[in-house]
Amino acid sequence: MPGVDRTQALRATIGLAVPTGLLVLLLCVVLGAAKGIQYTLDAISYGSIFALLAMGLALLFGVMGLMNFAYGELIMAGAYTMFFTRSWGWLGMIVVTIVVVTMLSLLMELLAFRPLRRASPVTLLITSFAVSYALQELAWTDVLGLAHRFNATIGTGPQKGVQPYPWLTHQFSIGGVLISKLEIAIWIVTVAILLAMTILLRRTMLGTQLRASTEDFRMAQLVGVRANWVISAAFAITGLIAGVAALLYIFRNGQVAPDIGQGPLFIAFVGGVIGGLGSLSGAALGGFVLGVVINILNASLPFKLHSYALLFAFVAVIGIVVFQPEGLISVRAGAVVSIWRRLRRRKPAAEGAPA
Amino acid sequence: MKLSRERVEPLARRAWPPLVLASLVVVTWALVDSFGGIVYHDIAVKMFIMLMIVLGLQVFSGNSGVLSFGHVAFMAVGAYSSALLTIPTEIKKFTYLTMPHFLKFWVFPAQLNALEGTLAGAGFATVLALLTAAPIVRLTGVAAGIATLAILVIVHEFDYQTSAVTRGTSTQIGVPTTTTLLSVAVWAMIFIGAAFAFQQSRFGLRLRASRENERAARSVGVRVPIERAIAWTISGFIVGVAGAQYAHAFGGTFGPDDFFFNNGLNIVLLTIAMLVVGGMTSVTGAVVGCYFVTVIFEAVRRWEVNGLGGVTPPAGTSNFVLAFVLLVTLVARPGGLTRGREVPWPTDWRLPRRPAFRRTALIERFRGTPPANEPAASAETAPTD
Repeated sequence: MPGVDRTQALRATIGLAVPTGLLVLLLCVVLGAAKGIQYTLDAISYGSIFALLAMGLALLFGVMGLMNFAYGELIMAGAYTMFFTRSWGWLGMIVVTIVVVTMLSLLMELLAFRPLRRASPVTLLITSFAVSYALQELAWTDVLGLAHRFNATIGTGPQKGVQPYPWLTHQFSIGGVLISKLEIAIWIVTVAILLAMTILLRRTMLGTQLRASTEDFRMAQLVGVRANWVISAAFAITGLIAGVAALLYIFRNGQVAPDIGQGPLFIAFVGGVIGGLGSLSGAALGGFVLGVVINILNASLPFKLHSYALLFAFVAVIGIVVFQPEGLISVRAGAVVSIWRRLRRRKPAAEGAPA
Repeated sequence: MKLSRERVEPLARRAWPPLVLASLVVVTWALVDSFGGIVYHDIAVKMFIMLMIVLGLQVFSGNSGVLSFGHVAFMAVGAYSSALLTIPTEIKKFTYLTMPHFLKFWVFPAQLNALEGTLAGAGFATVLALLTAAPIVRLTGVAAGIATLAILVIVHEFDYQTSAVTRGTSTQIGVPTTTTLLSVAVWAMIFIGAAFAFQQSRFGLRLRASRENERAARSVGVRVPIERAIAWTISGFIVGVAGAQYAHAFGGTFGPDDFFFNNGLNIVLLTIAMLVVGGMTSVTGAVVGCYFVTVIFEAVRRWEVNGLGGVTPPAGTSNFVLAFVLLVTLVARPGGLTRGREVPWPTDWRLPRRPAFRRTALIERFRGTPPANEPAASAETAPTD
């Protein structure tokens, strides 16, 4: 249904533009134009990473009903690969990291989730926890002896991490607004991946099969979609996305630790729920908005208030799950869009009345 | 009155699984109390506390089929309130300087004994359960997992930030260490009985029916949210007791991170894993899962510490082995070790399952397989999605 697709894309774009625009406006008013734009750009690049992660989570959730908590460990694995290949030059590092993370994702599917395909979602969830736990412990104890081989110290607390490339993180000023090449790279990569995903899902055979499996997995199998192929493809795609997200995240932070994947996973997970895990664009949008909001709260609020902000954020999460289970920004429920439309429709009638 | 076999056997059958499980607890207690040193004593205390949490989870998740990550929040509430009400007044005056007045005037003079403290802690946990029941009972599947996780995060964040009441990240001072191996064993046995009684009661039966087929259960008049709320509240009480017992064990030191996802022994996931590995739908599953996970983890941990035949695995192996065993168990037996069955009656060991009494037959009908002694009428009246 191409017509529906276009409306969905339109709604998602509007949903993306409205909160972002409001945010920029608010910040510019509060902090002054230059600083406001600065904060916003920074927050957008931070939120983009979570948009990618949330989309990966949503893809797996849609295809096989798996809420994959081992997803954070893909980022961790990516971080360690970057750490071990830090002397290979940036191109080698990027290629190897993406390949390793994708392979790990496929391996995860093959060893842990394929035998459990018919199990209940709860069992799948617990399995993903076990996978996550095992991979984390692998990193803590360094059973493979990688640390020795690469002259590093693993499992002994925080370490130096990946040295950021100066040419990548150096900030230059455009009219008082500081931007680094990394931020620009993050925007470009995110947009490129979103576009690629859209094309993949709309224009290719694999995309059609993936969407069919998301709608109704058993029905898709009945009309000839091969289950193994589709699920492996979904894992490969999410692995690819996780690899890219890991690269961007580690280039930004530089830290490497066994539990590094937990934080981003948590944000992406909650953001995905807020946006609606049922649809890729909704989840990506949710992850993006939550990432942006958290970044801005971190930057601008005093410490005490920021701490309780998390508490209220989760009260809101319960509210969303109960009253708007499809997600706030999900394409079907489209709360933001519908509110916007309602406002627009009422505008002529409500002129002069207090808003 | 003459006791005929026909009259006694159904009763004995019904009392059999909790009796077996309780005697397992008694045997464990006796063995550890007479032969185990301080190390095994602490392990056993921790295991019984975990067993209580798993039983609480079983009462809610096992019977309703709704996943919960939030039960450890009840544990936190039980621990903090029990500790606050049992610390001697003199110590409280120095350690809780900034406590707001509306709490001060009744918390400071309170000096409950061990049992009262535990019951008070469990009471507060029950209050939290009642307050949170309304949103939780409407949800199933992943949505319920998220909402309960949100409850856990909220309680953890509150514990962490409200240092006037919880001392934040600082350890507690002066919590009486009244938890003994006997006390946790007794509570565990009580809750084995309670979980089993609930499962067999009309409330448990309705809840289990809604687990097997929610629409069919609704169609025969089961008010699913109310049944879930009852189980949620009972499990809140059970886990609250576990928290209160935890607060007074291990030197009385605990912090917010004890009741959250943290490195090392992750209590939230470990208890859920125990339940799933044992088999969610039976009390036996809860007990078996708890024993299975604890024994494997501690065996490797002992090996790690003491070495065996001169070989000592690297530190952290126990965690890795635990994760690996969980994974293998889930792959090999997705329904759990017990496959959701209770301890069978001695003469039933080799028999195929048969409809022992009418209540199980009702459950079987909701599951879609008619009992063997009835004509095969289609039970799937509700359309599947």
